[in-house]
Amino acid sequence: MTQEHQGGLRGWAAARKGVWSRLRLTSLRLRLVVVFGLVALTAAVSASGIAYWLNREAVLTRAQDAVLRDFEQEMQNRAGSLPEHPTQDELQHTAGQMANSSQRFSVLLVAENADGETVYGSSGGLGGFSLTDVPESLRKAVTKEQKVTSANKYPYHLYWQRTVEDDTPYLVAGTRLIGGGPTGYMLKSLEPEAKDLNSLAWSLGIATGLALIGSALLAQALATTVLKPVHRLGVAARRLGEGKLDTRLRVSGTDELADLSRTFNSAAEALEKRVADMAGREAASRRFVADMSHELRTPLTAITAVTEVLEEELESEGGGIDPMIEPAVRLVVSETRRLNDLVENLMEVTRFDAGTARLVLDDVDVADQITACIDARAWLDAVELDAERGIHARLDPRRLDVILANLIGNALKHGGSPVRVSVTAADDEVVIAVRDHGPGIPEDVLPHVFDRFYKASASRPRSEGSGLGLSIALENAHIHGGEITAANSPEGGAVFTLRLPQDASTLAELDSEGSGDAEGSAGDEGKGKDAKGQA
Amino acid sequence: MGQNEPVPSLLLIEDDDAIRTALELSLTRQGHRVATAASGEDGLKLLREQRPDLIVLDVMLPGIDGFEVCRRIRRTDQLPIILLTARSDDIDVVVGLESGADDYVVKPVQGRVLDARIRAVLRRGERESSDSATFGSLVIDRSAMTVTKNGEDLQLTPTELRLLLELSRRPGQALSRQQLLRLVWEHDYLGDSRLVDACVQRLRAKVEDVPSSPTLIRTVRGVGYRLDPPQ
Repeated sequence: MTQEHQGGLRGWAAARKGVWSRLRLTSLRLRLVVVFGLVALTAAVSASGIAYWLNREAVLTRAQDAVLRDFEQEMQNRAGSLPEHPTQDELQHTAGQMANSSQRFSVLLVAENADGETVYGSSGGLGGFSLTDVPESLRKAVTKEQKVTSANKYPYHLYWQRTVEDDTPYLVAGTRLIGGGPTGYMLKSLEPEAKDLNSLAWSLGIATGLALIGSALLAQALATTVLKPVHRLGVAARRLGEGKLDTRLRVSGTDELADLSRTFNSAAEALEKRVADMAGREAASRRFVADMSHELRTPLTAITAVTEVLEEELESEGGGIDPMIEPAVRLVVSETRRLNDLVENLMEVTRFDAGTARLVLDDVDVADQITACIDARAWLDAVELDAERGIHARLDPRRLDVILANLIGNALKHGGSPVRVSVTAADDEVVIAVRDHGPGIPEDVLPHVFDRFYKASASRPRSEGSGLGLSIALENAHIHGGEITAANSPEGGAVFTLRLPQDASTLAELDSEGSGDAEGSAGDEGKGKDAKGQA
Repeated sequence: MGQNEPVPSLLLIEDDDAIRTALELSLTRQGHRVATAASGEDGLKLLREQRPDLIVLDVMLPGIDGFEVCRRIRRTDQLPIILLTARSDDIDVVVGLESGADDYVVKPVQGRVLDARIRAVLRRGERESSDSATFGSLVIDRSAMTVTKNGEDLQLTPTELRLLLELSRRPGQALSRQQLLRLVWEHDYLGDSRLVDACVQRLRAKVEDVPSSPTLIRTVRGVGYRLDPPQ
């Protein structure tokens, strides 16, 4: 259950990580595009802005200069030839003539006639160009008489201004003839120039847009060339992390990313070599332990077989053994048994360390197993069992027996009878608690009870056990996906709590059951049910 | 063992002198007739000459190893084989059982345990009742202790025969591996269920039409095995 849960969590975290890394990659891409876009936009806008401004000035100034020069010419030639106090008709006529020049502007002439009235003469070109069309400020500037100095040779000057009326730009200019004469104004539409400038602005805008799109595409391409190696590097790093140490990157080019790839490759190579070294060393030491154990077992097997003969002699009625050497024989017999246990436990520990320990699973009734364990060791009188039959679990019965024997044996040795063993089933777990009635475990010893060869104090006499019992019990619980905890009961005495999953088969890939068997049984089950139904 | 019964003769194949001598001493004291061989080749030769009732075979042998010796014996003979193995729970046991061994003991072995296993294996060949049972093309003759399939004699080891007998005595009823270990192997509560699985595999290979999809000896998931009369 917990395992599954963890697996689920891990999967979820991995999925989230994947999405996250993709998002981050996209964001780098996004950033590149944005930066490129901004650069392109700034460059294009400033370039086209300056171009537009310069162009505009040039176009307008040229048109303006031509018009004004013409106007000035006309003023001198035509208006200058008017009498000092012209009539309305004369003015009108002259204005018409002036407007007929090549530049096609409207002209308004203002003068005083002989009676002192103000008379206007306008070319009718623009549907009545009147004084109201001339801005006030311009009129003032034109009619204002300026002091004649060395810097300013004339009392009147030509003034001009650009105005906009009904979205159409106009150039308005005015001047007064020096030495008395009419005041002349002209109005010239700048629409053709404005149209030109407008189309220029449009083309510049389109050019800017194209530059933006181009920069975005460029950024995208660049991001791809940068991010692809980065992505490859990420994938390779992940593979390396998963233990595929032969992962290498293809190095192309001489840029920083190629450098990075080279660094990655050499790091992976160093790692692979190191791991291979360590694996080799570990294999060598494992081989050594295996060889050593075999070497130990061989004489031990011979000794054990013969010791039994001696033991039988000791037990036989006749007493075939010299009483003088009997204690020696007994010592040999008991120490041989102890040596056997120690070697057996050492072997077990090395199997766990090497990771070669395997589960041989079977369906068992937990209460039956405990009873059998206690019974086999003649502990029935010293152990109280509080367990109901019917709690089934799928586990390795031999390993459960090792755990139980170590826990109960430890409780009997260090605690005191009665030892109480209780079994409860919770969720997907079987919980077995072994409680003794001894003094409990000192607080400073409690974290070390499962340590190998741990002695509470150096002065403490060597106990009968190998010093590996609880450690082996814990390893056996772990291989089931279970756990053992040690604590002191508030009512006194130590409590060892063993938790085992009710079905350990999810952990061990059932290498114990013959593979053919496992395959056959899946299809077998359905057929078996049919058979039962018909029977 | 009764006084009148012949003393069973054993062949002990073990390369280590000390172990061989000690086990020979111990087994002889338990009342067995023991012949010994120091290598697999010598053992196979002695097997042909002396026709022992049972073989105790060390796994780690110079030259051809115990597994190979076991496989060679099984090609011609169905006599019981007990393996002496140095390791209790790694691949050794599985390989040993697959190569046709009936039982195994782990070194360092106590003479008494080995003796009990030997006697249990030998008992499997003893006849018990005098009827026969038929499961499709399979006929089990309990009085002659023979099994025929389509009229042909099947060569079964005593262990395979005993397993088939125990299953056939309760047709349609599932027996757990631990039950079978008690009934067939006479092991205590801590028997190795792989013994049952390996033996069932070998038995299926001999009695089933298609061993990979058995119709007679069925696996009952989470329980054990069951012998079904064919439909």
